[in-house]
Amino acid sequence: MAGFTTRAIHNKYLKDDAHRSLHFPIYNSVAYEFETAEEIEKAFLGEIPSHLYSRITNPTVENFEQKIKNVTDSLAVVALSSGMAAISNLILSIAGSGDNIITTKFLFGNTYSLFEKTLKPWGLEAQYTDMTDLKKIEASINKNTRAIFLETITNPQLEVADIKAISKIAKEKGILTIADTTITPPYLFRSRDFGVDIEILSSTKYISGGATSVGGLIIDNGTFDWEKNENLKGEAKKYGPFSLIKKLKRESYRNLGACLSPNSAYLQSLGLETLAIRADRSCANALSIARYLESNKKIKDVNYPGLESSSSYAVAKAQFPKGAGGLLTFDLGSKEACFNFINRLRIIRRATNLNDNKSLILHPASTIFCEYAPQLREEMGVRETMIRLAVGIEDIEDLINDIEYGLEGIQ
Amino acid sequence: MKIKVNNEYQEFDGEITVSELLTKNNVEMPDMVSVQLNGEFVKRDNFSSTSLTDQDEINFLYFLGGGNF
Repeated sequence: MAGFTTRAIHNKYLKDDAHRSLHFPIYNSVAYEFETAEEIEKAFLGEIPSHLYSRITNPTVENFEQKIKNVTDSLAVVALSSGMAAISNLILSIAGSGDNIITTKFLFGNTYSLFEKTLKPWGLEAQYTDMTDLKKIEASINKNTRAIFLETITNPQLEVADIKAISKIAKEKGILTIADTTITPPYLFRSRDFGVDIEILSSTKYISGGATSVGGLIIDNGTFDWEKNENLKGEAKKYGPFSLIKKLKRESYRNLGACLSPNSAYLQSLGLETLAIRADRSCANALSIARYLESNKKIKDVNYPGLESSSSYAVAKAQFPKGAGGLLTFDLGSKEACFNFINRLRIIRRATNLNDNKSLILHPASTIFCEYAPQLREEMGVRETMIRLAVGIEDIEDLINDIEYGLEGIQ
Repeated sequence: MKIKVNNEYQEFDGEITVSELLTKNNVEMPDMVSVQLNGEFVKRDNFSSTSLTDQDEINFLYFLGGGNF
């Protein structure tokens, strides 16, 4: 079988392009015309594979979905307007009022907010546990649990759970394993090999190819028996492994309207073609910087799962053999030192994103976690003294020089 | 033998499988189609071994290629 990049570049179009265009065109059209009333009826019934309206399907978006399907060997892919749209559409499709999802407080800030502030008032609860403690995970599951939701590498705590062991528990209990793979997208992590049923991610990050566009993906590996999910068992008899896709396309995705724009789909299709090259470089840069920081006496603590000294090293190496992503954190002892360091940088940019081509730096406690009280931030593993660096693909010597210059201003 | 395909009857002389029916109907993108036989999902692996009988109802549905369900 061809490799990841070959498959990403040479993905076959579902329908031949009229002009044999080598790049799949951007279809900036809302609606699609039919020859007859009979034909449009068949399209509405789903009996012919025709596009009708771009909130539901669009040829350029569909081509991007097919490319992702091709490189992940998944059953089906749905592309959405953002990573948060992917998470919310998925959770609203697989769980309802009275149900719960097992997860951890070590979550991306907006995902935690989705569970606590948006979904909780509607009766859908998140149960927080320690994802590195299999016994606690198992003990948290009850008859109303629909899924275990985890991040492959948590942001910004950079904790790595043993996904194969967790998915084994989920399978035994008849619940889904959902993994947010934003930090380790397809290429760095092959979710189906670790028992993940549904992969969701923000394609804004690594895939978009340099922070060009916002997007999200739901990747269904086709491994879950939907008869075991209370919300979908009615569909399972008629639609088998397509039950989630049917639910999304006929209900959640269609009704919530979080579709990806064709322009973004085009940019992200291009981004996918160079994902492996950029991810290799970003991971190599991150490891070099982590080693440099570890050897510097001004740094109190360096956290990168690819470092031999990391408590997550063994499990990260097994799960992400090509590299542990481009995200690392380090401790400078005080918020003031963190701010001084950030303000001195001349190449690394001060911005809230990650896996851009550019290296980006952030003080998580005062930015993405600023809405949470200090005690909750502590529980979420976000310290005032910690900096998050999302390593890009610049020349490593320039990045090290920039960090060195930044550290010169710290006592 | 009469089989109802997407709500329209089609006639066949002899035995026919799901795979053969997909070919005969020139189904576009057969990898993307979901097949329901008498209301139940047919596994893709069983398309060529599933034979149809008189008065069966079969639907070909797309979830990925379009269709405002």
